[in-house]
Amino acid sequence: MKNTPLESLARAIVLVLVWSPLLSAQETDRLEADQTTTAVPDAQQIEFFEKKIRPLLFEHCQACHGEQEQEAELRLDTLAGILSGGKAGPAVIPEQPLRSLIITAVRYDDSDLRMPPEQKLSDRQIADLTRWVAMGTPHPDSGRTEVDRPRSRIDLTQARQHWAFQPPIASPLPSTDLASTAGSSSPNPIDAFIATALQQQGLKPLEKSDKRTLIRRATLDLTGLPPTPQQINAFLADDSAGAFARLVDRLLSSPEYGERWGRHWLDVARYADSNGLDENAAHGNAWRYRDYVIDAFNQDKPYNEFITEQLAGDLLDSGNDHRLRRERLTATGYLSLGPKVLAEVDEQKMEMDIIDEQIDTIGRGLMGLTLGCARCHDHKFDPLEHTDYYALAGIFKSTRTMESFKKVAKWNEISIAGPEDLALQQRHAQQVSDKQAQLDTLLREAKTALTPEQKEGQADTIEQRFPAATQQTIAKLREELQSLKASAPPMPFAMAVADGTVTDVSVHVRGSHLTLGEVVPRRFPRVLAGDEQPALPADRSGRLKFANWLTSADHPLTARVMVNRLWRWHFGKGLVTTVDNFGLQGARPSHPELLDWLAVQFIESDWSIKSMHRLIMLSETYQRSSRSDPELAQADPDNRWYGRFDVRRLEAEAIRDSLLMVSGQLDPTMGGRLLTTKNRTLVFNHTSEDKSDYNLFRRSIYLPVIRNHLYDMFQLFDYSDASVLRGSRDTSTIAPQALFLMNSQWMTERSTAMATRLIAAEPVFESRTTRLFEEALGRPPTPDETQQVKDFLTSLHEADPGMQEVACWQVLCQSILSSNEFLYVR
Amino acid sequence: MTGLAPRAMRFGQQERNDNMIHSRRAWLKQTSTGFGSLALSSLLTRQAIAENRFDVQSNQRITADRSHFPAKAKRIIFLFMKGGPSQIDTFDYKPLLQKNDRQALPFEKPRVQFAPTGDLLASPWKFKPHGESGTPVSELFPHVARHVDDLCIVNSMHGSNPAHGGACLKIHTGSDTFVRPSMGAWITYGLGTENENLPGFVTICPTLAHGGTKNWGSAFLPANHAGTPLGNASQSSEQARVKYIQNASLNKVTQRQQLDFVQSLNADYLESIGPHSELEARIQSFELAFRMQTEMPTALELSDETSDTLKQYGLDDPRTADFGRQCLMARRFAERGVRFIQVSHSNSEVQWDQHGNLRKGHQQNAAEVDKPIAGLLQDLKSRGLLDDTLVLWGGEFGRTPTCQGAGHDGRDHNPEGFTMWLAGGGVRGGLRYGATDDYGYYAIEDKVHIHDLHATILHLLGLDHTRLTYRHAGRDFRLTDVAGHVINGIIA
Repeated sequence: MKNTPLESLARAIVLVLVWSPLLSAQETDRLEADQTTTAVPDAQQIEFFEKKIRPLLFEHCQACHGEQEQEAELRLDTLAGILSGGKAGPAVIPEQPLRSLIITAVRYDDSDLRMPPEQKLSDRQIADLTRWVAMGTPHPDSGRTEVDRPRSRIDLTQARQHWAFQPPIASPLPSTDLASTAGSSSPNPIDAFIATALQQQGLKPLEKSDKRTLIRRATLDLTGLPPTPQQINAFLADDSAGAFARLVDRLLSSPEYGERWGRHWLDVARYADSNGLDENAAHGNAWRYRDYVIDAFNQDKPYNEFITEQLAGDLLDSGNDHRLRRERLTATGYLSLGPKVLAEVDEQKMEMDIIDEQIDTIGRGLMGLTLGCARCHDHKFDPLEHTDYYALAGIFKSTRTMESFKKVAKWNEISIAGPEDLALQQRHAQQVSDKQAQLDTLLREAKTALTPEQKEGQADTIEQRFPAATQQTIAKLREELQSLKASAPPMPFAMAVADGTVTDVSVHVRGSHLTLGEVVPRRFPRVLAGDEQPALPADRSGRLKFANWLTSADHPLTARVMVNRLWRWHFGKGLVTTVDNFGLQGARPSHPELLDWLAVQFIESDWSIKSMHRLIMLSETYQRSSRSDPELAQADPDNRWYGRFDVRRLEAEAIRDSLLMVSGQLDPTMGGRLLTTKNRTLVFNHTSEDKSDYNLFRRSIYLPVIRNHLYDMFQLFDYSDASVLRGSRDTSTIAPQALFLMNSQWMTERSTAMATRLIAAEPVFESRTTRLFEEALGRPPTPDETQQVKDFLTSLHEADPGMQEVACWQVLCQSILSSNEFLYVR
Repeated sequence: MTGLAPRAMRFGQQERNDNMIHSRRAWLKQTSTGFGSLALSSLLTRQAIAENRFDVQSNQRITADRSHFPAKAKRIIFLFMKGGPSQIDTFDYKPLLQKNDRQALPFEKPRVQFAPTGDLLASPWKFKPHGESGTPVSELFPHVARHVDDLCIVNSMHGSNPAHGGACLKIHTGSDTFVRPSMGAWITYGLGTENENLPGFVTICPTLAHGGTKNWGSAFLPANHAGTPLGNASQSSEQARVKYIQNASLNKVTQRQQLDFVQSLNADYLESIGPHSELEARIQSFELAFRMQTEMPTALELSDETSDTLKQYGLDDPRTADFGRQCLMARRFAERGVRFIQVSHSNSEVQWDQHGNLRKGHQQNAAEVDKPIAGLLQDLKSRGLLDDTLVLWGGEFGRTPTCQGAGHDGRDHNPEGFTMWLAGGGVRGGLRYGATDDYGYYAIEDKVHIHDLHATILHLLGLDHTRLTYRHAGRDFRLTDVAGHVINGIIA
């Protein structure tokens, strides 16, 4: 995987020519000659070292980096010391002054690495050192020195033993008599694994939930909306064995499923409709990626295809299938959605920061590895080498994510115009040219009608000699032409990437682009992909190869990480609780065999996410009661062994969508753009004027996600930060949530709408109360509750006799919609 | 769950309004010994777990109000001057700059600059020594200058980012590259709150641009540590309110009735499930919210302030009234135990960002804040609050001594050397710490990086910046990341 000497030479020459202002043209010519003979320095070169370099090193460096002292484990008094370097890496890379730490240090380019520390060397001295490195560091010991290349301290063979780096193996199912707690004939394998662990812990699981609880649980889980009374009644009436399976199938094929589970994925993709960070520019085309994701979930796009498209959709051969090409380009928005410091003045830093954000998102999101930690040094905990990071960085540096780095920088967008768009554009162009022709003809004819004298002079003077009616027609035509031109149909663009200039990246010592170390060929992390990896294509970034590698059936992480995410979204915690970190600092799986079995099953079912839902939801583990059992609570307070189902608060979107649903105001329209800010313009500028309007009735997934200024209701209820991926949202319980429920206009309006609707639909108190409970809580009220409601309404009326019926019912509805039973699923 | 008697808080047919209040009391009383206390204790345990308060060095859990060592300050007021006030026109007097107007800068400009600048531009304002310390302050700050013996002026601040967005994020969160918790969030995470009926961290009229909510966000820290904004920079401070603090249509009595009803539903639901700390905590959170509704408007109600106090803050003058009200609100929050209070001088322009029009712009900006700041310092002092309140003044960076734009009247952004000052809360007054070069471009002597400032602020509050950590994404994070040194020279 090393560069050939010829490549190194070529690169060195280019670098010297382009970058080194300290060398004169004559010197560079000589360097070329020198470099052909680096191995054996000639007498002249040795003399140069003895006269210029040795005294310099002796005088300025060796007090700290010599025989007596070796600061940072570096000594500069021997050639071996210079070449092997110290803690920060080799001090020189022969022939490559600009990649040599010693040169960075003496030039004071990097504020963190300035040598000698007390006084910068003179320009002449720096030029001498640079020249010496460019010559190939001629030294009397050249050719006789064994160089100890600093190797990573990570023992990869040992490291590969970590459970998550071993390919998943489906172990045989535990004996089934343990699994069957409810006498079902063919127990779900999940239950077999769970039951074994429960038994080992000496725990007895709870019974199955009742059907009302089940339909509410499953419907909120798969669609993010509560079931309607009709749906509940239909399910209650279905006594057949397959009733729940059919319910799950119905939910999985409803479009609301994609709107719910697509949103889960958007947390992993750190999706947002604005850049955030410093310059909060509108991602005017991000919504296309969001719609792509919803669609992918609804179509049950195989997960391997799903991530391949997001990493390398532009590199897949879509033939002449325009729609396919459009979809795949849109998918690559995944790579460019991250927050970027768009006004970063240091463009190289910006580029590396953007790459870092991509690596971090891919690492934690798809592989459960904190790859970003290896940016400045070898990973402190995981067997990820500094070079692994830059090997991946090369892939993304070879990818065109940005159109320009000049502040304010612009992300890349690609036209996804299809035949219909082009036809529209063509038709419009035709209209413009027709109108123009009409105008030209009229002008020509009018001019022809003038006398020769009248034809003299400026065009506009001549026009004034036309008859008044003609002048009016001309003015009208011009106006029409202008507005026609202004109404060109907008051509669709997607935030998307393409391959750029293919290049390998140097190790950035301590993460700084000002201190470059050795060049690392593009490849995948060695701990996973091995020491011998085929070279990535020289004319391609390598993204497609990367995606293929990630989705190969024996990849130890990809399937495991995703099934664990699915488990987390169903149960509120992962089998590996640190869902974004499967490294050594991550949690170990609570049920390793189950996790592996699921991962293998996932791959064998062609990476179908919907079949994983079925598998999980049809298990008894999923269907258990959520009641608190003293024995279980005592022995397993965190419900680590799944003896019961956890009671969980709904996520921000599910709360909002449920409120809209019961208010009767939910607009079920799917897809499209709701962001009102023009593409690339600032959502917030210096004025701090807040133009965001969240008073919309579409499902939450369609609300614009404005980084640095998320919808406050979402923020209150632990929405994703949208700047960094989050596979497992927190559930906080804070007073401002109660303030929102008690005081917000949103709550008043939703409950007023619900009250108005109920009053109109149900004139009788009892049936109205029943309907309120059934719609909001999925069950009729108990007689006791009906009485409570009656008393409450009476007391409201007594406290304020002027209160109208709708006002009283608004307060009542708001109470029900603020109650825990509405906000939680059990 | 035998202590729970839901009937007690249900409303029998004969109950009247006053009975209901009585029944609420009965319920609350019951809850203070029954499931309520269980809820409270489980709430605290939950918080401790959720907040992952783990002191890595001593391997001890630190509670919300236990610091690493005795604190010199209990709270902090950050007077944030958005846009970047010029150090060489305010608190960093440079005689040579005054002498060499229009001459070339005799050394190199930074490798990375926001925009090109020209030759030196002397300060249009005169400096005079003030106080016993004889510290020079420009005529832009006549009122603050009277308090110069209380100020610890750090002239050697430096950062790296020359753009507003990055620099704002850097000063507020310590990072201009990644999303990190803000300084206020770290501090409330470390110290908790002294008044549980108010948020521990408030930010008054913050700017929504250049980092926006990130500047007071909690990032990966638990959500309750995020700052609570009151209004924003596009609103006057008179309109600055916490969102959702009041119900527009229901009066307090009705709302209390409603809350009692909600709580009875919640109690039934809890009973149907069994003990559940989160559901119990949520019941408590409604009561806390109800108390906050009362406490917050009281904190903002200025009618009990004397007219002398109002004048002291400049509320009688339209030029100073807006910022003066913010400063007065800050004092009222400080009195009520709010831990971190940020006040922002930020309007619909970029406020202190005078690339041109320096004379007019800085004159006007200074006039808007000078008297209110002096008033705040004086007021805190006379109430004995300055001793344990740390006041911090400054912007996201300073400005270049070299000139920008036409008319010899503008300065560019300069993160290489700028001035911030601290007062009260354990810092040495009457001190000028560190220095820039002869022209005020680069910090050169006793340099104080933004990380160092953060480390020092935490130190003054009794927190060790290397031990205030949070485990996230596989490693322990700090406000100062892997950098930062406490500047002992400024600590009294």
